Amino acid sequence: MLSGSKNSFKIQPHAQGPALRGAKSSDMNDQRNCQAFPCIPGEHVLEEAARVRKIVCSRDGQESIVGTLYCTNLRVAFVPEPAPGDTVGAPRCSTCLHSEHDVALPCIGRLVAVNSFTKAKVLTASSTLKFIPEELVLYCRDFRVLRFGFRDSGLEYQAFQVTLAIVQAQESCNGSAGTWYDSTAIRNLENAWLSTEELSSPPTLLFESPCDWEKELRRLGAAGWRVSPVNERFDMATSLPKYLWVPSRLLDNELKRAFGHFNARRIPRLCWHHPGGSDLLRAAGFHADSDPEKEDVRSVEALMLAGHAQCVIVETAADLPSPAEIQLSYLKLRALCLPDSSVADEKWLSALEGTRWLDHIRACVRKASEVAALLAERSRSIILQESDDRDLNCLLASLVQILSDPHARTQSGFQSLLQKEWVVAGHPFLQRLNLLRDNDREESPVFLLFLDCVWQLLQQFPASFEFTETYLVALHDSSYIPFFSTFLFNCQWERDRRNQHRASNQIYAPVNGWREPLPLEILQKGDRLAKETGGPYLPTIWDWALRYTTQQRAQFRNPAYARGSSSVPNGNLVPLGGDKLEAALSGNGAVYLFAKGGLSMQTHLFPWKNGSLSRKGWRWAQSSESLSEQDRSLRSKPTSCPLQPEGLLLPASVGPLIRLWRRCYLRGSQEVQRGLFASTLAELAEELDLLRERLGA
Amino acid sequence: MERAAGPAPEGGSGGPRRSVRPAGPGGAAAAPGSRQPSVETLDSPTGSHVEWCKQLIAATISSQISGSVPSDSVSRDYRVYKRPDIREIQDGHNGYHSEAEADQVALRDGNKLAQMEEAPLFPGESIKAIAKDVMYICPFMGAVSGTVTVTDFKMYFKNVERDPHFVLDVPLGVISRVEKIGVQSHGDNSCGIEIVCKDMRNLRLAYKQEEQSRLEIFENLVTQAFPLSNGLGLPNESWKISKINSTYELCDTYPTIFVVPTSVKDDDLSKVAAFRAKGRIPVLSWIHPESQATITRCSQPLVGPNDKRCKEDEKYLQTIMDANAQSHKLIIFDARQNSVADTNKAKGGGYESESAYPNAELVFLEIHNIHVMRESLRKLKEIVYPSIDEARWLSNVDSTHWLEYIRILLAGAVRIADKIESGKTSVVVHCSDGWDRTAQLTSLAMLMLDSYYRTIKGFEALIEKEWISFGHRFAMRVGHGADDHADAVRSPIFLQFLDCVWQMTKQFPAAFEFNELFLITILDHLYSCLFGTFLYNCEQERLKEEISTKTVSLWSYINSQLDEFTNPFYVNYENHVLYPVASLNHLELWVNYYVRWNPRMRPQMPIHQNLKELLAIRAELQKKVEDLQREAATRSISSSSARGSSSSHSASPVRTSV
Repeated sequence: MLSGSKNSFKIQPHAQGPALRGAKSSDMNDQRNCQAFPCIPGEHVLEEAARVRKIVCSRDGQESIVGTLYCTNLRVAFVPEPAPGDTVGAPRCSTCLHSEHDVALPCIGRLVAVNSFTKAKVLTASSTLKFIPEELVLYCRDFRVLRFGFRDSGLEYQAFQVTLAIVQAQESCNGSAGTWYDSTAIRNLENAWLSTEELSSPPTLLFESPCDWEKELRRLGAAGWRVSPVNERFDMATSLPKYLWVPSRLLDNELKRAFGHFNARRIPRLCWHHPGGSDLLRAAGFHADSDPEKEDVRSVEALMLAGHAQCVIVETAADLPSPAEIQLSYLKLRALCLPDSSVADEKWLSALEGTRWLDHIRACVRKASEVAALLAERSRSIILQESDDRDLNCLLASLVQILSDPHARTQSGFQSLLQKEWVVAGHPFLQRLNLLRDNDREESPVFLLFLDCVWQLLQQFPASFEFTETYLVALHDSSYIPFFSTFLFNCQWERDRRNQHRASNQIYAPVNGWREPLPLEILQKGDRLAKETGGPYLPTIWDWALRYTTQQRAQFRNPAYARGSSSVPNGNLVPLGGDKLEAALSGNGAVYLFAKGGLSMQTHLFPWKNGSLSRKGWRWAQSSESLSEQDRSLRSKPTSCPLQPEGLLLPASVGPLIRLWRRCYLRGSQEVQRGLFASTLAELAEELDLLRERLGA
Repeated sequence: MERAAGPAPEGGSGGPRRSVRPAGPGGAAAAPGSRQPSVETLDSPTGSHVEWCKQLIAATISSQISGSVPSDSVSRDYRVYKRPDIREIQDGHNGYHSEAEADQVALRDGNKLAQMEEAPLFPGESIKAIAKDVMYICPFMGAVSGTVTVTDFKMYFKNVERDPHFVLDVPLGVISRVEKIGVQSHGDNSCGIEIVCKDMRNLRLAYKQEEQSRLEIFENLVTQAFPLSNGLGLPNESWKISKINSTYELCDTYPTIFVVPTSVKDDDLSKVAAFRAKGRIPVLSWIHPESQATITRCSQPLVGPNDKRCKEDEKYLQTIMDANAQSHKLIIFDARQNSVADTNKAKGGGYESESAYPNAELVFLEIHNIHVMRESLRKLKEIVYPSIDEARWLSNVDSTHWLEYIRILLAGAVRIADKIESGKTSVVVHCSDGWDRTAQLTSLAMLMLDSYYRTIKGFEALIEKEWISFGHRFAMRVGHGADDHADAVRSPIFLQFLDCVWQMTKQFPAAFEFNELFLITILDHLYSCLFGTFLYNCEQERLKEEISTKTVSLWSYINSQLDEFTNPFYVNYENHVLYPVASLNHLELWVNYYVRWNPRMRPQMPIHQNLKELLAIRAELQKKVEDLQREAATRSISSSSARGSSSSHSASPVRTSV
């Protein structure tokens, strides 16, 4: 069956993209199986191999599932053969994308072919495969490792072909963002797959419509605030959401004057309102050309003080890692956690420390709890200020809310939070996750760092979260799946453009603002295709039913969750004392800077108002004289938070308590016995459901 | 020097070997005359003893992981024992102790504060010394002044000026060493003592030198703290229960009964005993119910530099191999490092040579000796108490090698279990004497192989059998009552074993019936001497000291409140062999044990209660299901038509555990 000449094959870069290539039609077998394989619209099978063994770990060590391996233009999929007991033709899974067996092409990190006679070979489009692979190993970017064995199939030719096809498809999908926007015709499937069962849970607020903003503002009970549609057409700032929460007494006219003073026109706006009166805001750094003598500085002041006598500016970047540092650390972590890591076992912990990943988590958790304590301490406005307000501000703002607001610890509340602080707030997911490998320089998994922080909180407060570790792992995996709108764009403006194609005159070009980074041709191509397909929305990641079965989703729910659990300061001292501060804060409109764990007084809202300071841009100059020592003493003094609401979590961040998220990062490890590693809490929940079901029947 | 009393709970059962002397460089300064008479035998009826042990430990539990921690009453420093109100308990018995003591204190001090700071007592516990205005130098919150009370069971420190009250409660058994330290403070004639504990903390107290009465505390601390210096289907055709050791003549560190191959004659056993170190002949630890592959344990053969041989021993091992028809090989696991085993040969010990034991394969597991383990734990203590270097935390853990040794141990046990399960081959395990590493390896392998040992009762049996009966030298390794803290025979061997068990519970969270608290409780009472379970070195000593009548077993206490120690997720994976991943990236430092004294390490919020509620719901639903099924079954029988498949169908997914 296999001709000798086929033994070696130089992979040629294909002129055509995979999307344009037709499905192979020469082979009868292929045809039959193509029909069997549940393609999503726009998808077609490029190559396949039958009787492939997927090697999985189970309770009894390694096992293999026999099935068919498909390579399509969108993903590598594995469909297990029905077990003897199963009725023939019954659907193997009830989701259209299989979370366990599928890998989207951009998620494949590295392909390795293994043959017992030669050493393992890393496959790239330019490499030559000189042997029939016995095993194909897919190292995924989400830390999964999939192994497919061909040895016993007796179909060497297929093994060879499917391997080549995967290599090729994976190579050609890189950097071709357009493919994903248009061929992800999942959008048409959405209605078919989403059943009514989702309706029972409270909906996730997407913050795309003004009513979501109104609804959430009502929930917060933030009386002095309103929803402003000033950016409804993205003409104030492209990267900002359409709607903003601003002080009620500030008219849109006045508001408009503030935009110019901030980088990328990202003005201070409300994130969260503390029941005790404090407000949490976020903003970009001051724009270098902002002129403080201008009349409209008043608007800026009104925005920042938000009616409070005291305003604390939190320099977000001060204690936290930069996106570049996060990326560096993440790469090291991934190298360490992959099963072929070269680190000796005895050096494992030191190597883990060397990645600094846990240090970064610690810094984030600590800073978030400091800010949460500041919020609870007394009524004030707190502004998280980051140069461009699109990376660590997202992380910090959401962590603070998770600590402070029990609602953010429910599944719907958490998802709404992610929509508000990440998705519509313009975290550049496409660049940061670099799913489509457009540009490696901008890659930085800030979002994954955030998920790890949440996992740490879940470890420390296991009864405070409605969701489980399984849910967080699912969310982690979802960030590497290009079929959803949530992580595929850099901001809401872009998402709207791609997603709900309207007449072009409705989209306003950005004024003065942040520039669209996408290559022009992709936009054009996307436009064309969007017209053709005319689908409404790409689904969001929150449509869990597309990828997870009911049973799998049942494991998202934490059975130990105690709604409205009371506040638990977890052995951490509240960072700042109230009384001493009080004395210093007699003046009206006092402004403090919070950085490196300490408060320092600012004479003016704007650093350049002093006159002497050079206008070097947004950065604050440290004006304080040896305040740090005083701050230390303040910090070590445990005081109760007078405004402490129900359910404030203050996590500990000491070394031993910040742990490696093994279930996420070490999934590729062959040694793991998955059955017994499973989250037992979730299993318990499953069992309860089963019992209830049976009672109902 | 006088003999000091044993801790009260043991009913004064002390059999002291050592005379007491103050330890540390400053020890000589203590005036011998100031010591209080301390010999006291207190007999408490066993029943009430159990009762108050329960009271005591109920409090322990509530202050540890499981119970709800009322934040208003718990002080920031960690306490071992939090008692609800001891006075009530005392009134329940006879109140004369507390009244008498209270009067005494009132007379002596006439000080309200001191009275409030007085230690609550158990029945039978008596105060040996009280000192007020003592500073406790807390590494976390600075100096706290208060009253120290030393009883014949504990050292108790309390400060009532702080809110919440600050309490330190240390059972004397936990104390490893007491040292005088010089305190440099301007002109103030202060001095201090440092109390080094076996449970990963050090406590520093300071007091003024000139007040003579203070000396009492030190003296009493020293004198009081160191009062001393189943079910395997047997017998069967191949294995018999031997009573040859009924008078401990064959081997004084073995129990009176053990299991040996049927065909071996008593004469031969004696000869084998002569060839094995300390007479510890190969005896059966575990037999596979199907393959009949066995784990036997022993000490090293006394081969010596001249390669001495012993026909009886060779035959004996051959018999062990023959008892298992599945395999024509026998694997001998020597726990030691190859090089160390060679060294032992020069000292008269050694290992089985291939020429003498042709069918045996010898494998060295390369586990380091007790001194290396002790040193590793010492380093570990250094990095966790009192302060933690956050930035270098992980590499510091690395540098202690503690987890590395755990890994080697687990890996060795996995190899043993795998040989038995997959290879169906019998194994012999030994180290030098066969009471440290051998006990660790056999008991871990048994845990992996046999789900019975993963139950609470089974685990207790495992410890009783592999550790207590077969002579792990608890008194020596822990240093019960001995003041020689630098004693080279001390080593955290048992702690290391429990750490391995903990690692397994982390990797298989549903496979063990017991929870983390169970393991911590065992460790706490390894040192507390409150129960007789871990006292003395071997069965013979225990028999002589009448441990079984004079003390209460830890297991009676644990079994009387199984609820607290039960893992809610337990699913009995019967006949399922567990192979833990013995690789450092799947091992973790047991933070809840080693780092528990750090106030910033307050354990995660308790979910025990939530889980209990869930389990109650599950039990209720399970019952309903069963009722309905029964109902359905009777109905289908009466209708005599199509038999419902419900009964067979239901068995698989619903686990009937807990």
